[in-house]
Amino acid sequence: MIRDFEYFAPKTLDEALTLLDKYRDECKVIAGGQSLIILMRQGLVAPKYVIDIKRISELNYISAGKDGVKIGAVTTHRAIEKSPVMKNGLIVLAEMEKRLSYIETRNWGTIGGNLCNANPAGDPAPVLMALNASVKMASVRGERTMAIEDFFVDSHKTALEPGELLIEIQIPPVPPHTGTAYNKFGIIEGHAAIVGVAFSITLQSGDGVCDNVRIALGASATTAIRAKKAEEVLIGKKVTNTLLKKAGETAMAEAKPLSDISASDKYRRELVRVMVARAGNEAFARAKQA
Amino acid sequence: MSKYSVIGTRVNMIGGTEKVTGNAKYTTDLTLPGMLYGKILRSPHPHAKILNFDTSKAEKMLGVKAVVTGSDTIGKKQGIWRRFPELCDEEILCRTKVRYIGDAVAAVAAIDEDTAEEALGLIKVEYETLPAVFDPMEAITEEAPQIHEGVELNINVNRHIEWGNVDDAFKECDHIREDQFVCSSQAHVCMETHCALASFDYNGKLTVWTSTQSSYYIQVLLMGMLGMREGDIRVINPYTGGGFGSKFELDSAQFCASLLSKKICRPVKIVLNREEEFTATKRRTPMYYFLKLGAKKDGTLLAKEVRVITEGGAYTAMGATALYLTGFFSSFPYKYPNYRYDGYRAYTNTEPTSAMRGFGAPQSTFVGESQLDMMAEDLGIDPFEIRRKNGMTPDYVVPGQAFIQSCGLHQCLDKIEAHVKERGKLPPNHGIGIAAYGFMSGGIFNWFDTPYSFSAAIVRINIDGKVDLFTGANEIGQGSNTTLSLICAEELGVHFDDIRIHSADTGICPPDLGAWGSRETLMNGNAVKRAAADAKAQLLEFAAAKMGVNIVYDLDIKDQWVHLVDRPERGVSYFDIVKEAIRGRDGEVIIGRGHYTPHRKGMISPAYSFGIQAAEVEVDPETGKYKLLNVTTAHDSGKVINPVGIEGQLEGAIMMAGGYGYCEDQPMHNGKILNPTIADYMMIRSLDMPETKILEIDTYEPEGPFGAKEAGEGLTNPTAGAIGNAVYKAVGVRINTLPITPEKVFRALKEKERKQKR
Amino acid sequence: MKKVVKLTVNGQPYELYIKPKTLLIEVLRDHLQLTGAKRGCETGSCGACTVILDGMAVKSCSILAIQADGGEVTTVEGLAKGNELHPLQKAFLDHGAVQCGFCTSGMLMSSKALLDENPNLDKQQIKEGIDGHICRCTGYNSIVRALTDVVKGEYKEVK
Repeated sequence: MIRDFEYFAPKTLDEALTLLDKYRDECKVIAGGQSLIILMRQGLVAPKYVIDIKRISELNYISAGKDGVKIGAVTTHRAIEKSPVMKNGLIVLAEMEKRLSYIETRNWGTIGGNLCNANPAGDPAPVLMALNASVKMASVRGERTMAIEDFFVDSHKTALEPGELLIEIQIPPVPPHTGTAYNKFGIIEGHAAIVGVAFSITLQSGDGVCDNVRIALGASATTAIRAKKAEEVLIGKKVTNTLLKKAGETAMAEAKPLSDISASDKYRRELVRVMVARAGNEAFARAKQA
Repeated sequence: MSKYSVIGTRVNMIGGTEKVTGNAKYTTDLTLPGMLYGKILRSPHPHAKILNFDTSKAEKMLGVKAVVTGSDTIGKKQGIWRRFPELCDEEILCRTKVRYIGDAVAAVAAIDEDTAEEALGLIKVEYETLPAVFDPMEAITEEAPQIHEGVELNINVNRHIEWGNVDDAFKECDHIREDQFVCSSQAHVCMETHCALASFDYNGKLTVWTSTQSSYYIQVLLMGMLGMREGDIRVINPYTGGGFGSKFELDSAQFCASLLSKKICRPVKIVLNREEEFTATKRRTPMYYFLKLGAKKDGTLLAKEVRVITEGGAYTAMGATALYLTGFFSSFPYKYPNYRYDGYRAYTNTEPTSAMRGFGAPQSTFVGESQLDMMAEDLGIDPFEIRRKNGMTPDYVVPGQAFIQSCGLHQCLDKIEAHVKERGKLPPNHGIGIAAYGFMSGGIFNWFDTPYSFSAAIVRINIDGKVDLFTGANEIGQGSNTTLSLICAEELGVHFDDIRIHSADTGICPPDLGAWGSRETLMNGNAVKRAAADAKAQLLEFAAAKMGVNIVYDLDIKDQWVHLVDRPERGVSYFDIVKEAIRGRDGEVIIGRGHYTPHRKGMISPAYSFGIQAAEVEVDPETGKYKLLNVTTAHDSGKVINPVGIEGQLEGAIMMAGGYGYCEDQPMHNGKILNPTIADYMMIRSLDMPETKILEIDTYEPEGPFGAKEAGEGLTNPTAGAIGNAVYKAVGVRINTLPITPEKVFRALKEKERKQKR
Repeated sequence: MKKVVKLTVNGQPYELYIKPKTLLIEVLRDHLQLTGAKRGCETGSCGACTVILDGMAVKSCSILAIQADGGEVTTVEGLAKGNELHPLQKAFLDHGAVQCGFCTSGMLMSSKALLDENPNLDKQQIKEGIDGHICRCTGYNSIVRALTDVVKGEYKEVK
């Protein structure tokens, strides 16, 4: 059962930050609540104060400009899924959102809520990592930005400090000749990923040589992680299927998956190997066309 | 022109409009004035003595109106196998000992759910934990802790079925296979959890509204556990959100709500939450199978020996039936000249295992059909051919066990073989696997020890020709209200809309054993047909006199028209006859009665469905993941009474049966179920559901109403076996444990690769 | 501690005085006696509680009622027009897409939201649209057929 709490619905970001600063550890922020409500119903989380930011319109936007795409933290998954901004180099975001849970969850749940929940199997984290995204956080003391891979500290733990709120996700402009793909392995559609692989590759002008690559693994460690050694296999080299397979094998060793009721750690490693190669092929095909 | 005018027509289900408009009231939707909300406190230990309770703080809490523990009961144990008192081993509300994590120890009634839940936290129970055992193989050893007093080696039940002489027969065989399999548990996951609203009044009468598959069983079991008279308990079955075998035993919601209500004479509603539903009800029986199969080189099966150990969980429940049926259906659907089955059910400190759709036959079909395909491959015989060679035929007798009358297995084989041939050459990594099955249409063995006929019905014809049909049969979503109304209307000669059915209210309906074992269409259908025939006979008696027909002419009613069978144009309106008949009988309405209990029909069932299913999969050999592309089944359920209903049953079963093969499981650690949520318990949803096709085979079952037999459970049997065989056909690996997960397929493929390299 | 929450449900405005922790499903079922939406789980996974809020299919068990303040909710009780069933309701009945009925309310509301957003759904989109719902009885395919026929225009809505 949910414990009683005092409820605030600030209308502006400043109001929200003031409240957050006042109540700190005694409060929880709710946006879509698709994770939080479940935790509260199970009695795992029982805050004295709940600060509802869902209606703060200044946190709800998708804007595209010269310096890339900016998504407000309270933007719903469904809005991202359907946004005309998510095409070409960013189509992978729409594709990822489409397979995230179910429509009803996506209609109300937000990208910010998902990232702050920091589920190691979450879908947005590896994809945003592959897109070189950053997150902007705010508190009464000001704002700061960090690379998204620094945002995830541990399972269900982020770099947010008490009084701090995630307010924006920033995706830099997609370089030319870049393709990104997300491969999600599951037994039943809509369930959390058993392993997720996001692969973003930039080619040196259509000649098939890898200029830069970012490989991010989900559900393969206590947070989403970059498979940096696997990336090194590819940088500066001509991309071939064999090389992608080698990257997969390298990533397999970098992954630190857990065993649970869905899969053993050994199987997860094998999945990483296979999916890195597959996602790589998909991303490569896209990069050649981009 | 069709012989029948009502059965076989496509009608919207009775109760459907209420369901689509949100007007259908399920038990959880009901409220009564002064109603309280109940919650149950459950054991966190798999095995422990209860030393004492302290409920004082909970009782004093504001808003709490009653608290009960085992000391509020009359100290009885109950079980559904009443014929064997030693198998009635479950107190429900434990008095001195708990035997699994989830065993109920106390219950609270309060003014709202939150208060009730808080009050649970104030109840102090002192336990002395005992060593626990979870694995049935370990449970039957000397070292294992004894779970029930006086039950040596925790062997709860054993069953033996035998005919011929398997030991001699194996000597005649050209080829023998011995294989082992493990069949997993499965959760029913009814969308509506177990719930009850109990109202005990100051006159000592109890009314219980509950989600149940058998109002009668609940009434009688409550009687025993409360020390009341059967007639002082009324069980009413509102709209029910699924049963699948989980809801015909007395459960903790029903018992605790009744006990609480009895203590304070106020209505109490208890609705189990989903976690309780997964962990503190009952589940499919996990089984360890040892099979030995012997055949001649031409594919004739000569002998089969089956040994099974089942994981019983903490109480007997319906586990004894599952043990028996798995042994019987291990001989299905083939003619074995020699057969031997020995089954043992072991108590363990886990959630009790009991009845779930298929009742031991999904397990026996998975293992049997897997092994048969392996045998066929060993002998170089086509899988269809080996099944054809040995398949049951009409009027076959299973020695000492069963009389098969109608049997459409061979027509099913033909249809599916044609379907598979039509598919032609399959793309790489695709495979089609088949599995043959049969199932019962209701059980014969009276383990409940009821003095009543198994099914009964009353038909009442009113002055306006509208017919009230009273039956104890439980509508749980399977469409029995509709099917029985169709049967009644057909027999009586009226329209489907003329029937108004009243079902499963023990206060006004005759007893019926309930909706389990696929019995309603055949057993209750027969009772309804007889009751309608009785009412019709009374009407025709009057009509014969009124119409003054020559005695050589028979009268019948069809389409609301009472007429001469040979001269249908000569007749009178049914409505006129009814009016005059009632007036002619001093105003007494016409009441027809019918009942059905199978006699001299063997040990198992009066009739059996048959079928064969083909499942096509596409395997991704790099990951082991496979897609269920298509499941096509040819099913023989005799005459189809309710086509919309039957299609729903046959198609719907595939979701559950496919899940059993593909993804459903309840992994445990030290007796604790690790995935007791719908988020974690994997089930097939719409995106993973295969395309389904049902090919109906027309047969006529003499024992069934208008020739009908079962369609509710048979299709739960073959899918796991068909999937296993399909995966083998696709990528050449055989998985002998359920569920057949991608990881298992992947490991098997790696193993195969390693072996090939050597 | 309690707050005033205003909701329009099936066209009818309501003013409620509730604790902030009250879930939308509790308001609908317990306060307004609209028992069509069902509780099927505690993890927001089964879909039985689905209603339409401001045009979107949402799980009422996972939303605080206060978050819907000022919003418009449609439940299954609001589908039929007077005594005329909604095309979806008729289609479900005709196709046997209802058995035990416990998932039906949620299934219908998600279906309605899907069709309102895109009347020309293909089979794959229908399957994606109802994937959030567990139906233990029908195996989904009859529901997909019912929706396909509605999309085809087999059940013209009576104006």
